[in-house]
Amino acid sequence: MGNCFSDVQGGKQAVGGVQQRTTATNNNNRGHNDAVEFFYRSRGLQQLFTQVELSLSAFNLRDRDIISKSDPMAVVYVKKIDGKLEELGRTEVILNSLNPTWIEKVTVAFQFEIVQPLVFHVYDVDTKYHNIPVKTLKLEDQDFLGEATCVLSEVLTKQNRSLTLNLHSKIGHVALRNLGVLTIHAEETVASRRVVEMILHCSYLDNKDIFSKSNPFLRISRIVESGGSIPICKTEVVNDNLNPTWKPLCLSMQQFGSKDNPLIIECFDFNSSGKHSLIGKLQKSVADLEKLHEGRSGANLTITSHHGHKKVLKGELFVDQFCEKEQYSFLDYVSCGFELNFMVAVDFTASNGNPRNPDSLHYIDPSGQLNSYQKAIMEVGEVIQFYDSDRRFPAWGFGGKTFDGTISHCFNLNGSAGSFEVEGVEGIMSAYASALHNVTLAGPTLFGQVIKTAAQIASQSVSYNSKKYFVLLIITDGVLTDLQETKDALVKASDLPLSILIVGVGSADFGQMEVLDADKGQRLESSTDRVATRDIVQFVPMRDVHGGQISVVQALLEELPGQFLTYMRCRDIKPRPLHEAQASGT
Amino acid sequence: MFSTASRTLEITVISGEDIRNKRKPVKKNVFAVIRTDSQPLCRTETDKDGGSYPYWNEKHNVDIPVHARFITVEVQCKTSVGDKTLGMATIPVSDFVGGFVPQSYLHFLSYRLRDSNGERNGIINVSVKAKVPEYAASSCSSATTIGVPFGKTSCYGGVVPGVPVGVPIMKQYYQG
Repeated sequence: MGNCFSDVQGGKQAVGGVQQRTTATNNNNRGHNDAVEFFYRSRGLQQLFTQVELSLSAFNLRDRDIISKSDPMAVVYVKKIDGKLEELGRTEVILNSLNPTWIEKVTVAFQFEIVQPLVFHVYDVDTKYHNIPVKTLKLEDQDFLGEATCVLSEVLTKQNRSLTLNLHSKIGHVALRNLGVLTIHAEETVASRRVVEMILHCSYLDNKDIFSKSNPFLRISRIVESGGSIPICKTEVVNDNLNPTWKPLCLSMQQFGSKDNPLIIECFDFNSSGKHSLIGKLQKSVADLEKLHEGRSGANLTITSHHGHKKVLKGELFVDQFCEKEQYSFLDYVSCGFELNFMVAVDFTASNGNPRNPDSLHYIDPSGQLNSYQKAIMEVGEVIQFYDSDRRFPAWGFGGKTFDGTISHCFNLNGSAGSFEVEGVEGIMSAYASALHNVTLAGPTLFGQVIKTAAQIASQSVSYNSKKYFVLLIITDGVLTDLQETKDALVKASDLPLSILIVGVGSADFGQMEVLDADKGQRLESSTDRVATRDIVQFVPMRDVHGGQISVVQALLEELPGQFLTYMRCRDIKPRPLHEAQASGT
Repeated sequence: MFSTASRTLEITVISGEDIRNKRKPVKKNVFAVIRTDSQPLCRTETDKDGGSYPYWNEKHNVDIPVHARFITVEVQCKTSVGDKTLGMATIPVSDFVGGFVPQSYLHFLSYRLRDSNGERNGIINVSVKAKVPEYAASSCSSATTIGVPFGKTSCYGGVVPGVPVGVPIMKQYYQG
């Protein structure tokens, strides 16, 4: 490292599984056990998805057999955008039962950013098909008993994660006769949220530097079936140390596959040239590392010589700490009563154009086709509404001349002087259409005031110890006039339970918005040198992709669970009741 | 100690980012000092290995005068000729006292450090929680009965007493 001339600090950072937590000098031993752990994910790490298992049971099914009872089976579909049904799975056949509890689970991947409509069909399987595997059954040959539909997030936000639906006929007629009820229970698969936390250290590493000691770091890779390996994380670089202890690693089950999967652990000497020297390596599974920890023993590193022989080195790897735990997931919080509260702010500046003109961004088409503002409200609102129990949404406009003739940068969309809440997504849409008739477009474009108003609501909710996290959607067509005031407001809001989604409509230059979105810019700084604690802003321009299957609003929403979890975890807010022992320990 | 004239803060000095010494990344031995009105309140241990990304995560209870308008964080490093100040940040008391959040809200705050010439020099990350003043606590004896509900079947989702363990550090923005 003595010959290093460039700044290499960035290359020395840990990636993929490393978290910040207490060091040995901190006397927080009991706090460590209670604190919720979280791990830092770099931008390159793919968003992990959550698998959900659906368990089905039914009650009071129709009796289709004359001699005996029905033999029911359930089939689960997801309804695609084009309305077609794609089968996700089937249950087994339960013989002679009008109140079946099926054992077979149907797995579906939960995607927060889209509405996932599920359709359930229940059939009476004829006796002559009982010995045939259910996968090969032709559904047209069976008796249809009933249908039910719901959205996946409807099930997941219930307290006990169970939803009971009435079965109805396929044609849709309201049958005089009761077809029975279907109960769907959703459970997140445990494996998808299990994490392992380790502290690793090495002793007696070989020195690779001539004039100083090595600068070691670890890289952990998962072996794949084709024989190669995929890196899953690396530690930070410890300078000038042949007996390094790295900061804690936190690896999820999804990263290493299973506890018995072999992992390759390589120790490198960091070189600023990018060609890091291999100090040694070994192959261990997570279960092996757990045994090393329990036995308080080390494992020797090895290196392959030029002749192909494996040489056992003096250097050893030790596991100082090994802790396996379930990490609370977004679904844990929402099924425990935590809510996402939706808020909307709409740009009423004159740059949108006169709403009566067809080329205006605010034009209300008589044929019912939605303009860009309406699309953004509908697409975000129809996802988020399922996470708010009362569905009363604050709705504001900014940049318009209101009823009393003054230009307001935060006026209630419903025209009321007192209340800013409207009922449901439809309430937002009607308040918006009504405001277009009562508000004159003006200017300039200012975000600061609506952000402060939303932040105040979020602040007040903390006082009530509520389980609310707020999501403000700002829809705008133009360039900001108050960029610094907006930054100041965002920096202050980053300490609160609030996320802000900005959708840009029209064809203006949205360069300023990219600055606000931390995905593409640096951390926001206020005029008083305060820096945003976390990223709460997401910006997406709504350039309509013709016939595109993936909506831009989906990209807007998919970071929201991560922002929610960042806020909850670092404040040690848990989605489950505290046990007495834990409470006394803190 | 005049308890009625002071405010107790629970300050966790979490970490620093991209700390430099004469524009070059500092290599080792970085620590932080918390001050008010030039009087040191506490200092962290020295981070020997963290380089320009030091990590302490140390919690300190400090008392500041009720009328104090800001506290100061100085990031220093040990050198062969003594301690050198690398950067300083001013934290307004209004950032963690007042507003609409409860008084004991756990704030996670980050600030730009400035060197002696006023140039930008990295970021300091702290968390601050103001404790209820002693006179208020002593006069409200029933406060001791307020606590975390035990044994409830409903989910407890509020801000619970706990140890702050840090905030995500956006290190990717300082790739070398």
